[in-house]
Amino acid sequence: MERYGDYLFNYAIVRVTDADVAADLVQETFLSALKSLDRFEGRSSERTWLTAILKRKIFDSYRKQYQSRSVSTGEREMDISDEDYYKQAAPFRGHWIQGKGPHTHSLLPEGELEQEELMEIIRRCISLLPENLATVFVMRMMDETESEEICKELGITPSNLWVMLHRARLRMRECLENKWLT
Amino acid sequence: MNGKFMEFMSKRMIACDQASYLISLRQDQPIGCRKEMQLRMHLLTCHLCRKYFRHVKQLEQLVDQYREAPGAKTPAFQLPEDKSTEIRRAIDEASNVK
Repeated sequence: MERYGDYLFNYAIVRVTDADVAADLVQETFLSALKSLDRFEGRSSERTWLTAILKRKIFDSYRKQYQSRSVSTGEREMDISDEDYYKQAAPFRGHWIQGKGPHTHSLLPEGELEQEELMEIIRRCISLLPENLATVFVMRMMDETESEEICKELGITPSNLWVMLHRARLRMRECLENKWLT
Repeated sequence: MNGKFMEFMSKRMIACDQASYLISLRQDQPIGCRKEMQLRMHLLTCHLCRKYFRHVKQLEQLVDQYREAPGAKTPAFQLPEDKSTEIRRAIDEASNVK
């Protein structure tokens, strides 16, 4: 616990973004590990073994988070043309809504950014995403999970996944742009 | 001739919603020649989507930076003290039951 507590917490926190949830997952990991201690054969290092358990827990939490929200995911939300960002009426159907498209030259902050500040802003932006978008964004971008695996875990089709990632990127981009400006 | 050309073009032109979707999609997988061409054509004429194209790449960079950060030599986060105590206690209890 002393040796791996912080390591596991760091592993969890970039993936679930909520510190309390991350700490709970670490606790569950230690308890599960303890229960299955006799099955640990020492073929991998303790750290690898604990990380594998934690990873399983994180995936379970993604799935729970996703399922609790997916009831409200309608057909409309699966449309490529996100109505929060693009005009829906002719003759400019599909064009950016004024002010919702990019307006700065670069998304990168001017000057050096403290690591902590970056972490804080990215976490804020993820927490502002609708929860199901946050789940796929974190799984794909933070955890670098293969797309097939995400679809399998969450029970969605690849085209659902691509649209959701697109919608998440639209919002993350906008959030980052606005954060640097303020 | 001109009419036919316009018809030919308009069938192949995509709007910003499609273009930005393709920009996102090609971060994850190849989108194929035809779509790549449609995207390039759109980018030639649309400065907003050119910016979007750049921003999506920069978003990826920032996320990479974010992901790598805590793995550095010093852990960026520490398990909160009260949580550590709670976990330690839970482990003790669980070991006693065993």
